Amino acid sequence: MAIVELIPVKTRILTPGDDIVATIAAYAGDNIGPDDVVSVAESVVAITQGRIVRPEDMDPCFLAKLLCRLVPQKGSLSSAYGMQAAMDAEGKWRVAWAMVMGILAKLVGRSGVFYEMAGEQAALIDDVTGTMPPFDKHIVYGPADPNGVAEAIKTRFGCHGGAVADVNDLKRAAILGVSAGLNPANLAQILIDNPFGNASQRTPIVIIKNYAQAAQELATA
Amino acid sequence: MLFLFIAALAVAVALWLFVARQGDAAFEFLVDQRTDLNLEELTGDKAVFSTVVPFVNKGTQDGTIMDCFPRPLLPQEQYDAAAVSARLELETRRRDDGYFEALIVPKTTGNAVIVTVTFTAKRGDIRQALAAMVDMPVEIYFQVVARGKWYVSKQRVMMTAAEIAAALAPAGVRQ
Repeated sequence: MAIVELIPVKTRILTPGDDIVATIAAYAGDNIGPDDVVSVAESVVAITQGRIVRPEDMDPCFLAKLLCRLVPQKGSLSSAYGMQAAMDAEGKWRVAWAMVMGILAKLVGRSGVFYEMAGEQAALIDDVTGTMPPFDKHIVYGPADPNGVAEAIKTRFGCHGGAVADVNDLKRAAILGVSAGLNPANLAQILIDNPFGNASQRTPIVIIKNYAQAAQELATA
Repeated sequence: MLFLFIAALAVAVALWLFVARQGDAAFEFLVDQRTDLNLEELTGDKAVFSTVVPFVNKGTQDGTIMDCFPRPLLPQEQYDAAAVSARLELETRRRDDGYFEALIVPKTTGNAVIVTVTFTAKRGDIRQALAAMVDMPVEIYFQVVARGKWYVSKQRVMMTAAEIAAALAPAGVRQ
């Protein structure tokens, strides 16, 4: 029986302008086999895509200043800048409408409606402090075209697949993008213990060794 | 039509009251509760002192200190025997590069910064250079992001000549 092995790959701090696929090649290229899946952390993908903004460079609108007040303090949209970022990404009125519906849904005991309606980026935005220095002073959006990134990884390395994942230490794993044929739920389960580690460990790439072999054996068992 | 107008007005007033009652973060560096200066290092031409300055978010909302740095004010017109520089670090997350990692401070809680001040003699021995030292303010600048617009504020720590002399004394300062 093939054993799935998770290999975190340490890199330097990646910045806007870095190419995530070229970075994988530089740090892990020799270690990727045809049965492997290469996963990358979503915030690092977003940073390399330049999807960051500093609060000082933003001018929150009145609606952002008001609606952020309705978000619990721990949320990334609880500051006017986080809320404005969500509005910039998903549309001001979409976010506002989602907030109205979210409040009404809460009144009848249903949670999560705001994030369901406000769009994917509203849930992916990390407010300041959400990422390691030097990006701790930035708002970081979710990555653009995560499926495309995953597909590019697979094509470049000839591996079984690529994935863009959002995983944290609270046992929450979401797969934002996968190459064709991969099962996001399976990958999320494999990555649930956060092999990417915390930010200071600087391991934004995790190679899932023997994934294809193990998946095939599981399917035929 | 009138009903809609009154309903909208009622919602607006309710939101205004909610925001007003919610308040915001409010940071204060407790400069009068800082520790005495501690001599960290003394070499031929250099003396390094530190002091711990507590701070608190006394507001009603969590807040983020995005950046924080010290600025010593020692103009050459006032004192020309030593050059001064300063850096600070969070007491609970020490680092020596002068970078302040953005920090969420929950409401009614706090932390402390360690302010490190380095004097370098422009000529000769640092103990001689500091023998006639003057009182020196060190301003702590901090940038805050919370519910409202980001802002920069500052508070002043006064390092007196007497305090510097007292910190140097155990090392045998030459008056």
